[in-house]
Amino acid sequence: MALDPGTAVGAGLALIGAGIAIGVAGLGTGIAQAQIGAAAVGATAEDPKMFGKGIVLMVLPETIVILGFVVAFLLLGKT
Amino acid sequence: MRGRWMLKPEEMTRAVVVGSIESLDATIECLYELGVLHLIDFTDQDDEFRIGQPLPKASDTSQKLLKLRSMIRALDIEEHKPAHAMHVHDIKARMDQALVTLDLNTSSKSDSRQKIQSLIREKDGEIRALEPIIPFDIPVELYDGYDSIASFVGVCRTDPGAALRDKMPECEVFMHPRKSDVVVAAFVKINDRAEATKILADHDFQEIKLPKVKGDPDELVVQLRKQIKDLEADLSRIEADLDAIRKQFADFIISSEEHLSIEILKAETPLHVATSANSFVIDGWVPSSRVEELKTALDTMCCGLAFMETVGTEKHEEPPVKLKNPKPVKPFEFFINLVSTPKYDEIDPTLVLFVTFPVFFGFMIGDLGFGLGLMALGAVMRWKLKSSPDLRKLGTIVLAGGLLASVFGVFLFAEAFGVPFHPPEEALDEASWESVANIPIHPVLDKMHDTQEMLGISLFAGWIHLTLGLVFGFYNHYQHSLKHALGKIAWIVILFGLFEEMMVIAGDATQTSAFVNATVYGFMPDATTSLIGVDISIPAVILILAGVIALPFTEGPLALTEVIGLFTNLVSYARLAALAVGKGAMALAFNTMLFPLIFDSGNVVIALLGAVALFVTQMFFVFFLGALSAGIQAIRLNYVEFFLKFFEGGGTDFQPLSYERKHSVATK
Repeated sequence: MALDPGTAVGAGLALIGAGIAIGVAGLGTGIAQAQIGAAAVGATAEDPKMFGKGIVLMVLPETIVILGFVVAFLLLGKT
Repeated sequence: MRGRWMLKPEEMTRAVVVGSIESLDATIECLYELGVLHLIDFTDQDDEFRIGQPLPKASDTSQKLLKLRSMIRALDIEEHKPAHAMHVHDIKARMDQALVTLDLNTSSKSDSRQKIQSLIREKDGEIRALEPIIPFDIPVELYDGYDSIASFVGVCRTDPGAALRDKMPECEVFMHPRKSDVVVAAFVKINDRAEATKILADHDFQEIKLPKVKGDPDELVVQLRKQIKDLEADLSRIEADLDAIRKQFADFIISSEEHLSIEILKAETPLHVATSANSFVIDGWVPSSRVEELKTALDTMCCGLAFMETVGTEKHEEPPVKLKNPKPVKPFEFFINLVSTPKYDEIDPTLVLFVTFPVFFGFMIGDLGFGLGLMALGAVMRWKLKSSPDLRKLGTIVLAGGLLASVFGVFLFAEAFGVPFHPPEEALDEASWESVANIPIHPVLDKMHDTQEMLGISLFAGWIHLTLGLVFGFYNHYQHSLKHALGKIAWIVILFGLFEEMMVIAGDATQTSAFVNATVYGFMPDATTSLIGVDISIPAVILILAGVIALPFTEGPLALTEVIGLFTNLVSYARLAALAVGKGAMALAFNTMLFPLIFDSGNVVIALLGAVALFVTQMFFVFFLGALSAGIQAIRLNYVEFFLKFFEGGGTDFQPLSYERKHSVATK
């Protein structure tokens, strides 16, 4: 790709931004899900009927990483 | 209508069986035979109707059953599986005689076995106590029973002799060192007892309790050994007798235990039934399609002494739920049961799962090689694992997923084992199946290069899936709350707006968005404006706003917080594309690393090693992990994004009065 230096730096920064957006958002989701997941597995072990509720609670923090994904995707469009 | 619609559980009719008390026995027999009545427990006792008494045969039967079960334990045949199922009339004919014989033999034999076993244990203990003191050569009776002397016999970890003699010169100590400890017999004056105890404790003294016998320990041990030998001979004779009984009667015992358990089940049924002095009332639910069958059966089997009436259902009564799906769809009920049984009035989403799960799964795997592998795995689980019904269902599901993966692998992605049929235009030097055979199928989509297109397809699938969920939600709520049902319409409008906005942003970048913009949104006014560089569709914004305004009035103000949730639900389907790309990239990475090893090395051994490494890594990472994560994601999209739009669950499973005979055959 032949880009002039200014555009190339801008595109690079946008790509780094996209990476940070999805990466950090993923970390956040992971930290939140770790605890919910552990609790949900415990609850399911006690009462298998909790499986449905557990799965719903488990995926709540996914909103974070999905928003991160959207931001990353919009940033990719800028390159 | 309900009777025909596949998305609904089986239709139930409230049925009341009434009759004269003499026919209760025959009625219960008839109900168990048919297995169509889900009993409702009778609880409101009054002066006239009381909870019934167990049938007269109950106490006798339970006594026999108790005996049989104790025999099963005594003979240790809990796991025994009879080769042939026994006829009930054979069981009945042999029962009394056999029970007497068995009872006499088994219980006395098992008692004496227990006695002998405890005797052997006792004598073993005596030998263990006597053996250490053999080297002292002192008759056993001399160790104890003095007035002025205290004796200690036991084992010390370290030698206490010097310490004892030092403190109490008049003591007598015998010692015999062994590998890791010292056997000690110490005799001290009775006044020195406390001190001796202390010294010995310092040397980790452990007392040996000598048996109350007389004589030389050496001879005693020999005698005891002989006694044990005799006892063991007796024991093996008894075991042989029990073995003979086991051989002869094990089948009979297991079969009749099953038969009597069923008899008890029937005999105790009146405990859930209302009875008066002369009559009984059995209340329950029957699948509507089998009401007539039950009526006729009662007529013929109970000689007109009992009959059935259907009763209108009251609103608060929740019938039990029996899912009704065609045979190929049945295995997918596994996923429903994992969450919860649907309510009677709810839509049963099994049929939708039957379509969406394999399609999502197949799209994510999208590879002929892995697809065929999964089909083989599924087929093995389906037809070879007879013992576990759940695994068999899972096998069918894997089979269906593998089939779709193969189909997508051939016609959509044109690749097998992560290697494309033809090299992609963007990278013509990439390894492909062209070096083996020229397959006349070209990919519609290339996983590694058409990622945007795949995202578009994923979101489109998500939009349809979510809209279907909301339509189901509308139906479920429509029956009891029009307000909530209208709320679902508001959600559908918002979702429509959100999806349109996304497609407008995508514009002509993907064929999917171009197609959607031209067809689904073709009739909408084409008015866009630009905000911070992002295209905003005005009709989409109007739709979203209209839905959002309607939400507080239908679903309540809290629902507003979930608008973002709906957006993330939709974007969540991007995982379909993400997993497909990710799995393709993993396979490509392994292939790129290991293909040169295989083809360019020129060394047969290295080529072979490379091939093995490729096979193992692909099998593990791409096949198993890929299949596992694709399976989890495919079911998750259904559980979370789809189910939450309409599914409540919490229905009662339909459990009719019935039994299962494995080792016995009923005789008419």
